[in-house]
Formats: sequence, structure tokens, C-alpha cells
Amino acid sequence: MNEDFRNHPLLELRLPEVREELLGAMAALDRELPLRPATIVGGTESRGDGERSTDPCDPAREVATLEWAGIDAAERALELALAARWPLRPPEKRVAVLERAAGRLAERRHRMTALIVREVGKPWEDADAEVCEAIDFLRYYALSARRLHDDLIQVPGERNELRLRPRGPAAVISPWNFPLSIPLGMTSAALVMGSPVLFKPAEQSPACGWEIARLLLAAGVDQDALAYLPAGGDLGRWLVAEPRIATIAFTGSVAVGLEIQRRAHESDGQRQIKRIVAELGGKNCVLVDSDVDLDEAVPAIVRSAYGYGGQKCSAAARTLVHQGVADRFAERLSGAVEILRVGPADDFATEVPALIDPGAVSKFNRYAELCTGAELARAQPAAGPQYVSPLLVDAGRLPDDTPVVREEIFGPLLTLERVRDMDQAIGRVRDLPQALTAGIFSRQPDRIDELIERLPTGVVYVDRAITGAIVGRQPFGGNGLSGTGARAAGPSYLRHFADEQVISTNVVRHGVVL
Amino acid sequence: MEAALETRIRELAEELSRTEPVTWRRPAVALGRRQLGSLDGRPALRSALFRFVDAAPACRGPFDRGAHLRAFVREVDGERVPLALRPLRGPAAVGPLLAAYGLASGPATALLARQFIAGRDVKDATRTLRAMWRHGQAFALDLLGESTVSEAEAQAYFKRCAETLRVLADAAREWPEQPLLDADHHGRLARANLSIKLTALTPLLRPLAPERGAADAARRLWPLLQLARELGAHVHLDMEDYDSRETLLLAFEGVLASEEFREAPSVGVVVQAYLRDADETLERILSSPSLTQRAIPPTIRLVKGAYWDHESVIAGQRGWQAPVWAEKRESDACFERLTRRLIDARDSVRPAIATHNLRSLAHAIAYLERCGGERRELELQVLRGLGDDLAEGISRLGYRVRIYTPIGDLVAGMAYLVRRLLENSSNEGFLLRQRHQSLDELLRPPA
Ligand SMILES: Cc1cc2nc3c(=O)[nH]c(=O)nc-3n(C[C@H](O)[C@H](O)[C@H](O)COP(=O)(O)OP(=O)(O)OC[C@H]3O[C@@H](n4cnc5c(N)ncnc54)[C@H](O)[C@@H]3O)c2cc1C
Repeated sequence: MNEDFRNHPLLELRLPEVREELLGAMAALDRELPLRPATIVGGTESRGDGERSTDPCDPAREVATLEWAGIDAAERALELALAARWPLRPPEKRVAVLERAAGRLAERRHRMTALIVREVGKPWEDADAEVCEAIDFLRYYALSARRLHDDLIQVPGERNELRLRPRGPAAVISPWNFPLSIPLGMTSAALVMGSPVLFKPAEQSPACGWEIARLLLAAGVDQDALAYLPAGGDLGRWLVAEPRIATIAFTGSVAVGLEIQRRAHESDGQRQIKRIVAELGGKNCVLVDSDVDLDEAVPAIVRSAYGYGGQKCSAAARTLVHQGVADRFAERLSGAVEILRVGPADDFATEVPALIDPGAVSKFNRYAELCTGAELARAQPAAGPQYVSPLLVDAGRLPDDTPVVREEIFGPLLTLERVRDMDQAIGRVRDLPQALTAGIFSRQPDRIDELIERLPTGVVYVDRAITGAIVGRQPFGGNGLSGTGARAAGPSYLRHFADEQVISTNVVRHGVVL
Repeated sequence: MEAALETRIRELAEELSRTEPVTWRRPAVALGRRQLGSLDGRPALRSALFRFVDAAPACRGPFDRGAHLRAFVREVDGERVPLALRPLRGPAAVGPLLAAYGLASGPATALLARQFIAGRDVKDATRTLRAMWRHGQAFALDLLGESTVSEAEAQAYFKRCAETLRVLADAAREWPEQPLLDADHHGRLARANLSIKLTALTPLLRPLAPERGAADAARRLWPLLQLARELGAHVHLDMEDYDSRETLLLAFEGVLASEEFREAPSVGVVVQAYLRDADETLERILSSPSLTQRAIPPTIRLVKGAYWDHESVIAGQRGWQAPVWAEKRESDACFERLTRRLIDARDSVRPAIATHNLRSLAHAIAYLERCGGERRELELQVLRGLGDDLAEGISRLGYRVRIYTPIGDLVAGMAYLVRRLLENSSNEGFLLRQRHQSLDELLRPPA
């Protein structure tokens, strides 16, 4: 598996001609705006208007105009899915569809990158990495679907087999912060294992979602096996409660993730225990030990905390620093935060773009207000309604019970805490119910091992940034309240989307093994 | 023609390597070399010790340092560990024993560092520089420091550069005349010679937006060049990783385009032959009006490039073709190609060939001779701690040698130190091959 898989190459954006090409793709996309995404059920598109998605960095720019899908559309989609022949298709055909989709996406990468930049305000480098991740998901799941074999113990006269079976319709409910790769990963995993999919994208990114649906249908997914249902939370709730849905693949906040757990089996007429594959938020901590190399740690932490404005579930939210280096660290980190460039996502110089929507801005401002008087550094915001000023906060000056160090803020705010030693830091990390990612900056191998063992998080990064997981290299997912434990793009992810069936056949006839 | 050149290269190489080693003057150097030599063929041990050297100055006291050493040494698997380090692998490696190792390793690291780093600051180093000068060696001073992540750090680096220029110019004024070091075919040479790092001069280096870093660096480059002009000093911009190259050239060309700097100061840039586009880069520099149409021609230092592993790793992780040649001999061949190009252009620039590779060095000299050039038309440069023996040989041949001399504190100097140590013990590197291979093998043409 690992030998046969290559991550799709990132664009070499440091070359001016490569940047030019992207700017060209953006100009072409801008001429098409607003896009008109449709609801797609059974291959039929239906359009309307009344809803829109806008460029977070320039909310006057309309990226998409559309109408939300109604429950009736979802109902129809579900019926089609239940009757679909997709689960009966030979596995090789499903695999081939994913591979074809990967190829098509690779051909259209510039346009998709530009669309991500526009619709969710993600800077170029991150947007490009997301497109690569999406291509990787398709290829990785295609390859792993081919390799899922389980050997059982065999004795003479008996043949034992374990098969993976499609589970039935899956609902994919996805976030806006990775509007292409996350939904495409969840959808393709379900599809390749034979489950038809009802896909509801985030309200903020319907155009990206539409591209996914069209990509997969064009690559050969049966029309009744994939429905595209752009809509708000009510449709999501309907899908979650619907007894005929077998699997729910969700990426989003802890609060919604827990609500899904509660609601999934409330309605009457459940036909199965739903499989919930949930990847939820974090409150990710970076431990900085006394022997840290600050030259490495400071830039890596800045990138982890402020890249894409902290709007990644893996983003760094807290740093816990050994008191022996805390002053130097605080000083250098402050200096690095002050020069962060806040600006439009389509500017190659931008480091922190606008936040996704006005709701995110007011949420950020609420936390920022709680930090009044404890700021260590802030960067200049840009002019525009959805820009905020990135903040570095001294948690030592906040009250002990402050939500700032416990709740996921999903914005450019990092807190700094001095600790006596790494034991105290570990204690604080373990106090948190979220356990998604963590970072360690230390240079003593045995100490690092000891820290890793005591960290509860799903992913631990040592001496590097804690964002930017790559398919096959860092299978991604959380423990604790941060997820149900599946690791996206890991060796066992696809199993979550299948049922197991064991077949034992007696091959003795008339006392003879035939 | 080529055969004659090869014969001459051989003669020159013999002459260069026949020189008396100077290590007796610095016993620490000899000792350090022996230690490094013993790492040959023991990659795990080498990696363990280098990681220790890297972390040691950041440790809190002897015990902490001992604990680090123990951890690194215990990771070495399947290789013979030197006797002196073996107790660290045993169960007794606790408390006092660790502290003892920590105490001993402090001076050991400092001693090692001292081979490569001439002092804490410029005042600390001026005696060494003067002794070198008297001995017939020019210098290029380099200020080691932490990387620059903030405005304040860029400003601090700027101040250090300015201060260093002043002290250097002041001190060097009194030194006795050294005809070979004081002038070349283009005229007077600045004595005070400072190499600076663009990435230290701005915290805004962003490979995706080179204009941003260039504009910010230019704000500090400007007054530095003014100062160098007043003091009659030389400012050389070192080349760093590929991510910074565009920013560096933009900044330098931008500032030098100003009428104000047409006459002075003396400036220099670096071309790295390990880059696949090195030939084009040199052409770009040679045809850049702001660099070459100056009253004082620029010095162009040709090197192979110090970031080969970094460039290869980054490119590999991102799925890019690396910007550097994949094979050592390609870098060597490129180096010779560009050596010739530079020597051919010596009427408009000052060529400086910087290498410790006997073949690369002898080739430059042989080619200059073949072109009928005079000795003073070519400058040869080596690094302190790596090229000391070679420097003697170069002087004996009657060529000007300039020793790249870093100063700075240990913590900050670690990145530099580790890179030099790696170079000293890398399997591809000339310095290590020198121990095993015959002169014939070492002098084989790279093509
Ligand atoms: C005075 C002076 C100033 C310097 N200034 C700079 C500077 O500003 N910027 C800078 O980057 N470096 C600089 N260097 C360092 C220089 O780039 C080399 O790293 C160093 O000199 C070793 O090269 P060499 O020719 O001496 O030895 P050699 O052993 O002949 O060559 C080693 C070099 O070959 C190259 N190499 C190694 N393996 C491979 C491979 N597999 N494929 C292709 N190439 C390979 C690498 O560049 C490596 O450094 C300077 C060196 C000196 C002496």
C-alpha cells in the first residue's frame, strides 16, 4: 500500500510563473461568478435562488446563488438511494470511479483552488494543499479498498471468510473550512465501500460542494447513488434522525457532534444502529520545553495558530511553555505575531484572511473581549467587515475558569501559559475533554517519548507545526471528545463504512474433504 | 588543451596539499579532526553526537546536559560506541555521573565551536583577524545569530552589522600594508569585509511574496550600504536557501539601482553551483546593470551551496523536483563551468572561488593560468576551521586567500556549527573522501 501511493505534488508556489497561472485561473473564475449550484437528486438538477455564498474577504462579492434543498428532495434522494444498484456494483468499478475522479480533479486543480480561495477565504498555499489532499483521498481510498483483506484461521474441512458489505445510505454532513477535501474524503470513502450518499455541504460553501457532486457523477457514480443537498441545519437534523440512514459521516464542532450522537436514534422505526463517523473540534496545545530551539518553534507555532486565521480543527490554541524559556519565547512570539499580514486570501502575501462569516467575527470578538488587559501582541487587521486582529494572550492574566483556554475559538487567538515543567503542562492537556492534536518542542529523545505516552490526543506532532496532516502520512482524527476515533486517510478508515459478514462453509461431503 | 589543463591541475593540487599542515598551531583543531574522523562509518553515532552538540547550549546546566547526552547515546543502535561514552548506556548513568558528563561536555562543545567561530563579538575577534592579516590572510566576517522572526530582531541584527563595520574599519586601518590583500587588478580592496544574511535583516521573508521581504530588507540594507560607503568597507550578501534567493536578488538589485550607490561601496553576491539553474543565475547577475555597472566591480563568490539536504528534503516532502542537482559530480561540473565563466568575466567582476575541494580549487587556478591571468585577479576563499591547511597552500602559491570567519555566541552559532560538522563528515564531501582516496581519484574530472 505505502509503496504504491504517492501524495499528489503541491504547486511550487515560490516560482513566479506558477503564481501567475493561479491568478489567471482566478480571473477566469471571477468572470463566471456568481455560480449557480443546483440541488442534484437522481441526476436531475434543480435550481433556484434566495440563498447565496459570498467571499469572506469581500462580502459584496457573490460566489454562488442558489436555493436550499427541501426535505422533499432529501426524501426522494433517500428512496432512490435505498433502491440503488450501487451496492451491487463490482468493487473494481467503484474503485475505478474514484481513480477517474482523482484524475479529473488533478486536471482542474487551478480552478478548484481559486474557488476555495474565493468561497471560504482560504489563502492560496492552504487552498492548494487542500486540493492535493482531496486528490490524495480519492487515490488513497481507491487503493485501500483494493487491499482490504482479512485472513481467518482455516482448518481442514472448513472454509472461513470475512467479507465487508455495504451498509446502506450514508449521510455526509461537512464543514466549510475544508470545503473540498473533507466532504470529498467522507463521500468517496462511503461510495467506494458501496454506500449511496446523501451529501449536505456547509451553508457557507455550496459552490465547492456542487463541484464535488459533479466531479463524482461525471466520473461514473450512479445517479441514484449520490444526491447533492445544499441546505441549512434543519436538513442536517432530518438526515441525522432519519431511521433509514445507516451511516453518518460528520466533521464539525463538538457540540453538533454530541447532538448527532443523541439524536441519531430518537425516532421510531430504527432498522440498525447507525454508524457515526465523527471528526470534531479540538483545543490543541503545544508544549514548549526548556531546551527548545526557538528558531524552529516560533515560526512553526505561528503557522499552526494563525494560518487560515486559526480556522482549522488542528490549529494551535494554547502554548504551554517551560518557565525557563517563557520570557524569551513570549518576546519572540509576540514579535512574530505583530507582523502577521492580515488581508485578502487571493493576495499571496496574506497570512491571516478574513473570518468565514459575521457569526465567526462576533464569536471571536466575544473571546477577544474576555482577554482585555491580557494581550501580549496583536497584528493589524485589514479594512473590511470580516477581518479581525490576530491576538496573542497571556493566559496567566486571565481568570482560572476562563472559557478562553477551554473552548474552541476557531479564530486567530493563541494563549500562552507558563508552566513549572512539562509535567504540569501534561496535566493541563489531560484536563481538557478535547484530544485532537498536540505538539511537543523538546530535544531530549527519552523525554519526548515519555511526553507522547502521556498525551491523550489523536495526533502528536514533534518539533514541527501541528497543522497540515497529509494523506497516508498523518492519518487524522481525535480521541476524547474530538471524535469517534476514525483516522481519515489511515489504513483502517474504510472499515468504518462497511459491515462485516463472516461466512463459514463446511466443505466435508460424505466424510471427505472436497 | 584539456589534457594540459588536467596535468596542471594535478601539479597544483600536489603543491596545495603538500603544504605543511597548520594544525600544530592549534592543537584543538587536530584533536577535533581526529574525533570527527572516528565518526566516519558510524552514522548513528554521528547523528547522536551532532544532535547533542546542537542541543547542548540550550540545556540548563550540567545535569540537564548530561541527561541529553545520555538520551542521544542510548539511541545509538548496532554501532560501536566509544569507550568514553559507554557508561552512559549503563544503569549507573544517573545523578552525579550525568552531571560529570554534563560538566565535561560543556568545554568540549565550546572547544569544538572555537575551531569554527572566532569569538563572541567583533572586539573579541579583532586580535585573531589582525594575526591572520599579518600572516597574509584576508577575512570575511560573518555574524552568527538566531534567525530573525520579528521587527526587533531585524533591527538588532542591523545594529550589530553597523557596529561591526565600524569596529572593523577602525581596527583594520592601522594594519600594515599587504600588497596582495590590499589591491587587485581593479584597484584597492576594502579591508573591512562583512558578509550579511538577508534573512536576518528582515522578518518578512515569504517565498510566495518576495516583494514584501525585499522591501523590508531594503529599508535596512540602505543605511548599511551608506555606512559601508563612508567607511570604505565591503558588504557581501551571503546566499541562503532557495526560498530566499528571489527576495535577496530583488532587494539587492533594488537598493543598488539607486544613483547614490553607483560609486561605492564595494559589494558582493554569491552564486551556488549546486542549483540546477546556477548558470542562468550567474548570467542574470552578470547582466544586471545595478550589480555590474558600478565604479567598483562586484565580487562574485562562487560556492557549491550549503543547503543541499534541506533543499532535497523540502522538495521530496512536497513532491517537487529539487532545485539542486541530484548528483555530487553535477555540482562539481557546474562549479567548474561557472568558474570558467567568472574568470572569463574578470574584467568586469571580481571572481572569488570558495571551496575546500582540491580539484575545484586547482581547476580554478589552472584555468586562470591558461587564460594568461595574473594571480591577483583571482581570489580564493575558505571557511575558518575547514580550510585552514588549504589557506596556507593558497598563500604559498601566491594567491590572495580570504577566510570566512564567523563570530557570535554558541547558542546562536549552533546551526552554523552543525552544518560545518556535517560537511566535514559527509560521505559525499571532499573533506572526508580525502581520508580514503588517492589523489588520482580525488582529482578525476567531474564530467
Ligand atoms: C568562503 C566560503 C563562503 C561560503 N559562502 C556560502 C554562501 O554564501 N552560501 C552557501 O550556500 N554556501 C556557502 N559556502 C559553503 C559552500 O556552499 C559549501 O557548502 C562548502 O564549501 C562545501 O563545498 P566544497 O566545494 O568545499 O566541498 P565538496 O566536498 O567538493 O562539495 C560539497 C558540496 O557538494 C554539494 N553536494 C553534496 N552532495 C551532493 C549531491 N548528492 N548532489 C549534488 N550536489 C551535492 C553540496 O553543495 C555540498 O556542500 C561557503 C563556503 C566557503 C568556503
